[in-house]
Formats: sequence, C-alpha cells, structure tokens
Amino acid sequence: MTTLPSSPRPARRPSNLLPMLGVALAALLLYWPLMLWANSGQAARSLASGADLGCSTALACATQLRNPVIPAPGQFASGFRNLSVPPLAPTSAPYNALVTGGETLLGLALASVFGLVLATLLVRSRSFERATLPWLVASQTVPIVALAPMLAVLLGQYGVQGFVPKAIIAAYIAFFPIAIGMAQGLRSPDPLQLDLMRTYRASPAQVFGLLRIPASLPYLFTSLKVAATAALVGSIVAEISTISFSGLGKMLAENSRASDTVALWVIMIYGAALGIVLVAIIGGLERLVTRWRPPA
Amino acid sequence: MTQDSVQVTALPVRSGFGLPLLLLAALGLLGLSFLLAGQPAPAVAWPWLLSVVALLVVGAVGIRQSAQGENRTARILPAAATLILAVLAAEAVLRAYAIPTGLIPTPSKVAQSLWAARTVLLQDAYYTFVLEALLGFVIGTLAGLALALLAVRFRILERGVLPYAALLSSVPIVALAPVVIKAAGLGWPSKTIIVAITVLFPVVINAVRGLQSAQPMHLDLMHSYAASPAQTFREVRWPSALPFIFTALRVSSTLALINAIVAEFFGTEGHGLGFRIQIEVGRFGLDIVWAAIVVASVIGISFYLLISALERYVLRRN
Repeated sequence: MTTLPSSPRPARRPSNLLPMLGVALAALLLYWPLMLWANSGQAARSLASGADLGCSTALACATQLRNPVIPAPGQFASGFRNLSVPPLAPTSAPYNALVTGGETLLGLALASVFGLVLATLLVRSRSFERATLPWLVASQTVPIVALAPMLAVLLGQYGVQGFVPKAIIAAYIAFFPIAIGMAQGLRSPDPLQLDLMRTYRASPAQVFGLLRIPASLPYLFTSLKVAATAALVGSIVAEISTISFSGLGKMLAENSRASDTVALWVIMIYGAALGIVLVAIIGGLERLVTRWRPPA
Repeated sequence: MTQDSVQVTALPVRSGFGLPLLLLAALGLLGLSFLLAGQPAPAVAWPWLLSVVALLVVGAVGIRQSAQGENRTARILPAAATLILAVLAAEAVLRAYAIPTGLIPTPSKVAQSLWAARTVLLQDAYYTFVLEALLGFVIGTLAGLALALLAVRFRILERGVLPYAALLSSVPIVALAPVVIKAAGLGWPSKTIIVAITVLFPVVINAVRGLQSAQPMHLDLMHSYAASPAQTFREVRWPSALPFIFTALRVSSTLALINAIVAEFFGTEGHGLGFRIQIEVGRFGLDIVWAAIVVASVIGISFYLLISALERYVLRRN
C-alpha cells in the first residue's frame, strides 16, 4: 500500500556546497526586509493604541517588539543565550532536546521490534494481511494526541510513568512506516535468490535470517528515517498532552501559553536540529550496518 | 513462497465454513454484551473474559477461512470482520470489568455520542478537513510541483535548494505550529499554511526524483525523433514522474489531516476536530473524543482511498 521510495542511490555529482551557500546567503538577505515587513504591522498597531515602545515610527519599532512575528537578530541572539546557557540546566533547551531525543530513540526501538513482528506476519500470512492491513493504514489517521492522556492514565495505573508513556506514543506513530517498509523489504528477494536458497535446502528460518532480513535492511533504514520524524512528533505531542516536567514539548506548551514568540522560534530551531540529527544518526547507522552496499 | 506455506498449513476445512464461523463469533459476542447489560458489573470477570477470548479464536479461524481465494469477498470480508469482532469484544470486556466511561468509554456509548453530537462534529470536520487539510494539501502539492519543475529546469537551484528541502522535511511539524499560529493568527488559514508546508517537502523531493527517473534510453529516443523539450517532458519525463508523485501524495494525504488536527492544539477560534478533542479530554468527555476520532479516521481513510483510486486511474491511463 504505502510504498516508500526505495532509496535509489544517485550517482556522484559535483559538490552541492556552493549552490547551498548561495541559497543560504539569499535567505539571509531576504530575512531583514521580511522581518521588518512582518513586524511593522504589529508595531503600527501598538503605536496607534498608544503604547510607549521607546521609538517613533513603525519601522523603527519593528526590531524591538516584545512578541515579534519574526524576531530581529539581536532578539534571536539573546533568546538563544537565555535558553542555552547553562546547557544542562532543567530549563534550558539543549537539556530538554536530549530528553526528547532519548524518548524518540526508545520509541523508535520499540517501533522497530513491533514493526518487524508485524511485517513478518504480513509477509507470512495472507489472511493476516487481508484482515489487518486496512486497519493498520487506518490507525495512522487516528490523532494520537487524543490517545496520549488516556494512555498515560492507563499506564500510570500499572506503575509505568515518566519516560515510557512518551516512548510508547512515539512508537505508536512510528511503527507504521517501519512495518510497511519491512514488509516490502522482506518480499524484495527475487525468485532467483529464493530458488538458490531452495537448492541449498535451506530451512524457512534460514531463508528468513540469511536472505530476507539482510535484503530488507535498506528498506528498513529508508523507513526508519521517515519514522524518526514521526516518532519525534509523537514524543513532543505526548509531552504536551501528558504531565511532563522536561522535554521540548513541555517548553513549547509553556511558551505558547506565555506567547513568548522569541522562545518559540528558538525551540523550533532546536526541534528542527534534533530532527535533522536523529535522521543523520540513522543514516550513519545505515552506512555501518549495510557495508556491502556501494557507498552513496 | 508465502502463498504455498499458507495453503499447506491451512486447516483442512472447506472455505464455505468461514462465514458461519464469523457469524457465530459475532452473535456470541453480541449476546455476551446483552447479558452484561442486563445486570450490574459481575463479581468475577474472568469467565466472561475467557468466553470472549474463545469466541475471538472462533472468529480468527473464520477470518482465516474467509480470506482464501481471490474473489471480492475474500478481500473485503476479513477486514470488515476484524473490525466488527474487535469492537464487539471491546464492548463485552469493558462491560465485564465495569471500566468507568471516564477512562475508556464502551463502543456503544461512543456511537450514541457520535449520533448526539453529529452536527457539531460535522461542522468541526468541515473546518479541519475542507478548509485546513484539503486546501493545504492542494496548495502544498501545487507549490511542490512548481518548485520541483524549477529545480529540474535549473540545475543550480536543484543543488542549492533540494538539500535544504531534504533537511527541512525532518523538522517536526509540532515545533513549527506555534510559531506559524502566532504569526498568521488563530483562524483556519494558519492551519492551512502548516498543512501546506508539511505537504510541500515530500512532494518536492519525490517529484524531483521522479522527473529525473526517466530512462536515458527513452530520452535519447526522443532526441533522435527531434522532439521538442515540451514533447519530451510530456511524453517521457512526466509519465515517469507520476508514480513518485503519487507516492508522496498518498503519504501526505494522511499526514495532512493529522497535522491539521495537531496544529489545532496550539490555538483555534473554537472550531475543528483538534479543538474538540483537546477541549473534551480536559473535561473527561472521552466518548466525544472517541467520536471525534472516529469521524477523523473515516475522513482520513476515505481521503487516502480516494488518492489511491486516483493514482490507479491516472497510472493506468498513462
């Protein structure tokens, strides 16, 4: 059903560094006028309502709003400093990003185990596939956030608290791409390879362990990258909707209520970095595990 | 291989037994629920649990029997039976253990609430699906396709922008939502923007990959026919890109609805399924929450199936 693109390796091309730098520079040049334009409306409204901002024109005030739409460079810098120093304090973003990252990785591990079991069942039994696949797809349209508080209460009754409920919720949205990708990967050996195993008189377990699992690894990692982002969303959402004392989600919820937009921007950048780092970790793991494939 | 093993290990019962077994299991579970409805919560719950499990085993055998063969029933019946049996079993177990509605409402209670709150939920669904998810999906897809065409046409753009697109596609949507909502206001357009952004990246990445997936041989052939670039695009590049684009659309179709709902948690003007879920969780109105989830799921599945059907239709025509 949901077929993930099976990571075709592109041929080696000239480095992307120079064009990427150019685009970054263009974005930087656009940032200043965009910031002024986005903020000046709010600044004009505050001035018209008689607020004393310490500046006379809307354009001059645009860099000094307390809750700007897009923060000015100075506001960004001070926001980063406020949220990042010292890096391991319970209120600082790096520490909370680590907590969220840990939950996400635990959730991914859970999702991989569950996804592998499901994929095996899906590949082994057609009646299982017909009975459950539509509902596996359907389970992905269920907004997990609604389930998060209930799950937390239920798990809390059995003494499971803190870290684990978030990981379970992360796993709940991450298992689907993994299960589908793995099922596709387990089916990927071609008939020739399966025939070879039969000539060797390999047992079904051997066919599975020696042929199907290794063949599915590239698919697993492609889907793990999709799942990592999903799991990160899951753990952040879980932090928002359950009782939590740390994590990026808790910081987002707090600052969203306090309308501290500069902090929201900073946390967004930390969240983005966390997502990118997680995908990079999986990419590194992929290179480590699938050594026999030609390097990208 | 897999087909062989299924047929070898299948029980030696003729497949005609599938439907009676399923009916037996479903009616049995229904009967249990009715028996439990007549009395207050039973003192010992395990005999009820045991009979539910036994009936589920019967149902599983029935599902297995009815899944044999290639006709239409064999494809649809197992999935439908799984859902019905699961719902009936949940009803019976929840009643046997007398689990309070505030924790997990029984399916029948959810169905009642769904009917009672249907106008509100449909209005929420209109906001969440039509105005936010669908509009965002369309905008994101169009923008993504336009960006992909530019990237393929101008290589410098591809090398400069595409790595960022790949990078940004791993940014969690929930981190983005509060900022966008603070910038664009609490109304539905802010959620439309968020959905559009999340749909944009997979479409760009897959469309570029697809537009470049045309076989060099075919391109050479077009070249030797002295075809214009527009003809080459229409006859070779576009058809070979379509499967990739539809993969992205299918994945985005479910994401669009979920992201619209998640984005609503960060602020609305009092409309939408996400708003409804958040409000009712706070009031322990979990029957309404589940009803909203049912509505969201039905819409999500229909949207997914619609995109899949469109994909089959378009790919067959090409």
